[in-house]
Amino acid sequence: MFSLTPLEIEALRLSLLVSGVAVAGSLPLGILCAWVLARRDFPGKVLVDGLIHLPLVLPPVVVGYFLLVVLGRRGPVGSLLLDWFGITLGFTWKGAAIASAVIAFPLMVRAIRLSLESVDRGLEQAARTLGCGPVRTFFTVTLPLVSPGLLTGTILGFARSLSEFGATITFVSNIPGETRTLPIALYALTQVPGGDAAAMRLCVISVAVAFIALLAAEILARRVQTRLRG
Amino acid sequence: MSSPYLRSLLAGLVLCFAAGGPCHAEDVMVFAAASLTNALNDIAEQFSAKTGTHMSASYAASSALAKQIEQGAPAQIFASADLKWMDYLVEKKLVVADSRINLLGNRLVLVAPADSKLDKMEITPKTDIAALAGNGRISTGDPDSVPVGLYFRQAMERSGQWAAIEPKLARADSVRAALAQVERGEAPLGVVYATDAAISRKVKVVGVFPESMHDFIVYPFALVTGKDSAAAKGLLAYLSTNDAKAVWVRYGFKVN
Repeated sequence: MFSLTPLEIEALRLSLLVSGVAVAGSLPLGILCAWVLARRDFPGKVLVDGLIHLPLVLPPVVVGYFLLVVLGRRGPVGSLLLDWFGITLGFTWKGAAIASAVIAFPLMVRAIRLSLESVDRGLEQAARTLGCGPVRTFFTVTLPLVSPGLLTGTILGFARSLSEFGATITFVSNIPGETRTLPIALYALTQVPGGDAAAMRLCVISVAVAFIALLAAEILARRVQTRLRG
Repeated sequence: MSSPYLRSLLAGLVLCFAAGGPCHAEDVMVFAAASLTNALNDIAEQFSAKTGTHMSASYAASSALAKQIEQGAPAQIFASADLKWMDYLVEKKLVVADSRINLLGNRLVLVAPADSKLDKMEITPKTDIAALAGNGRISTGDPDSVPVGLYFRQAMERSGQWAAIEPKLARADSVRAALAQVERGEAPLGVVYATDAAISRKVKVVGVFPESMHDFIVYPFALVTGKDSAAAKGLLAYLSTNDAKAVWVRYGFKVN
């Protein structure tokens, strides 16, 4: 039987925690950005669009370094966080979650935005003429209609977070039990003599986790589709 | 189209690849421990001015480099920060055993950001390193593989402090990455080599670990099997000349 070692359980738990928090924390902002990009026109929209998508095309180490410089203990934002709230992000799983969230954000926004753009505006207008306020319309009509996009965005973001390596190791280093997620544990093992067998096991675990996530996404997406069709 | 032109271009390309290595026959590729970065670059510049042979170098943790050489990376000279990783390659016959020289020595030091309130002290096996770090972390190379971390682990194991230290470590992937974490103030303490501390103005040395606490820090150099060209041999020999020694010493290395 394939039983996990404590090191593997720890890395797996951290990966799920970091990715889960990254996605849950950035989802509301993701929906907001997607909605703004899909529904509003304003000067500088191209710039905002570009900025949101930047982490998708930048090498993750650039993002990690930027986070380190800005959010580190001596960085302009990091030092304020430390002085005001006593929060440090460096070397902690919270920092890892932020790195993952930034990297995964564009994928999430993209999926939700595409879904928003395909919503039949007539249904929203119908709700409005029947006396439904804009906020209520959004939550009771628009959001359910874009649920396939939300689902895809969440799963994509989660999967990207699971595989995050470059920004994470640059920003929060490699701390067992704090920031040593599956990819980082794997990287550390590739440098230890005789670590190949253990590294291979982590590869298998990573593949399994990614596959399960994709499979779950597929099944959920089908359910949502059938429900939307009524 | 101008096919003769195209043909000669193609022929040139094919020749280049057929040579199996860099088009520049005079280049020497060195894989060296991160702590050697500045000194070795200076020496390479001297060497290139004198002989016209250029050195290109890949600096990283000795562990990472040894693993890359094992996978067939195009290194011609390997310089490790400990004996273990050189022995690892000697055992696998991936370096030329009798070209090996234990060229340099170094010391292990405890560093803190330059504005730290810690005073300079004499480190003994009784010094409580974990307490000095307070709530912060101690940055050093990954003690499972990176030499600087391995030396530090040894020092802490010999003084019975490892259990207290291990959960406080920030494991960097090379000694220079650890140095950078202390420079930025992310970690209030770090363990690096004396030579790394000496090149940074943003850190100060809090104390030097007595050499009785860990194995002597030795940098072995060797030619990589099958890549020992005349130029590579020339560079390796140059590293122990008096001109090169002057540079090593200037950066704080002990020359054996």
